[in-house]
Amino acid sequence: MPYKILIVEDDPAIRAQLQILLSGAGYEAGAVTDFGRAAEQFRSYAPHLVLLDIQLPGAGGFELCSRIRAVSDVPIVFVTGSSADMDELNSILLGGDAFITKPYNPAILLARVAALLRRAYPAADGGEVLRWNGAALHLERSQIEYQGRRADLTKNELKILYYLFKHAGAICPRADIVDFLWDNQLYIDDNALSVHVARIREKLAGIGLEGFIKTRHRQGYTL
Amino acid sequence: MRAGLFWKGQLPAVLLNVCGAAALSLFLLACGVAAGTVALIAGVWGAVLALWLGCRFVLQKRRLDALLALAEGLDERYLLPEVLPPPVTAEEEVCRRLMRMAEKSMLETIGSARRERTEYKEYIEQWVHEVKTPITAMKLLCENHRAPLTRELLAELERVTRCTEQALYYARSEHTEQDYLIRETSLAAVVHAAVAGSKYLLRQHQVAVTVEEMPGTVCTDGKWVQFILGQLIANAVKYRGPQPALRFAAARADGAVTLTVEDNGRGIPAADLPRVFEKGFTGENGRAVPGSTGLGLYLCKRLCDKLGIGIRVQSRQGQGASVSLVFAGNDYVAGVRG
Repeated sequence: MPYKILIVEDDPAIRAQLQILLSGAGYEAGAVTDFGRAAEQFRSYAPHLVLLDIQLPGAGGFELCSRIRAVSDVPIVFVTGSSADMDELNSILLGGDAFITKPYNPAILLARVAALLRRAYPAADGGEVLRWNGAALHLERSQIEYQGRRADLTKNELKILYYLFKHAGAICPRADIVDFLWDNQLYIDDNALSVHVARIREKLAGIGLEGFIKTRHRQGYTL
Repeated sequence: MRAGLFWKGQLPAVLLNVCGAAALSLFLLACGVAAGTVALIAGVWGAVLALWLGCRFVLQKRRLDALLALAEGLDERYLLPEVLPPPVTAEEEVCRRLMRMAEKSMLETIGSARRERTEYKEYIEQWVHEVKTPITAMKLLCENHRAPLTRELLAELERVTRCTEQALYYARSEHTEQDYLIRETSLAAVVHAAVAGSKYLLRQHQVAVTVEEMPGTVCTDGKWVQFILGQLIANAVKYRGPQPALRFAAARADGAVTLTVEDNGRGIPAADLPRVFEKGFTGENGRAVPGSTGLGLYLCKRLCDKLGIGIRVQSRQGQGASVSLVFAGNDYVAGVRG
């Protein structure tokens, strides 16, 4: 079941685009439309996480935050255009879990959301495992496993494989992969990506996974 | 108090006394008083006058010098009329009233200028706040429709963001009040956030970015430092060389942490180096590269001064530039924790 995220944002363009972004990242995204009844909508939607703007018509984000906190412990992410320190202090005092200022980097927003969800709802089996075509990518151990044989991956190789596994079956344009890597603090260019992929292919061949990563000429990579 | 001016002021009284003494002496001589007695009377007259003037000089000098010292010791000298001792003569009293009037109109002018400035700063802050909403919407739109075109757009959006932030921090740097929040900040997080903030700009110009291992935390305002780093990154891209590279490194020494941002761009000529922090100074590089405002480093310096961060620029022409930010040790935090 995907996590449900409630968007409380008064700008319609941002609201719509956030919904697309979050749905694309595999979440179920709902948005508050009637700000007078935001607290009721929160109760009926029962989200796993709330994205909350501070400046809202009606009561405002802080007021809503304390009303949510009175009934629930869900992670609350404050998203605001103001970079005033008072707002940040207030958001911490009222029990907000994160404070992100506009204009935020969408990738960073997604990373914060994922981290908060992981912390609030820890997975039972200890460590995420991604699977595709019989291969299993162990994120915590930084290993790839195929038919009982394992290969250790470096931090950077894990990041590349993580992206490919997440988009398994689809063609991943090289530029998108580089985008993702930059968002994850690996600053490489197109050539370096080729080098990294070549090294990953060697490791994969070592555990019997030949031709696991396919190159689509002029398009990108695919699993 | 100047002695010459004092004596000049006493001249009429002295002349009057001299005339009086002369007239009296002539009258006494005419009445048949012995010349010796007349001389004695005139001598006593002169001595009394001299004594009186001398005492007056000493007392007045002492009082006026004390007033000058009082004014010297005052931080806001326009408030002087408030702390003066009570007037003792009619002139002093009028003088005091004149000063009070001047002070009042001065305070009114200062007050209204301050109010206007604060209002303008608030307007700038609000404007920046407002403009962030459409920027965010555009960023999300681009992110949801990835294509070469939207990447170009995102690079331009980064520029818009940098310019609006510059307006915000410029307004803040001009203001005396504190707008920052000092706390323990992870240096690595700030550096990565700054790189992320210029991601598309750096990729557009194929800058090779290296972030070395960062030692722990420093006590500062992360958002301000992120803005400063953003300006430095923009400079590195603006004055880049043929194969641009940007390196972030940090080192801890004697409790202080030095963060160095190093590029391999065109560098700064030695003649321009001492003036890079001046407002509006663009130098030789500014003439060679379009888009120099002479504002970036000036603002960095001002913000660093406010935050208590040391900032240094080292460069050799043609061999790149390196800017170092020195964060003082966080002794007081350690002290509180015991």
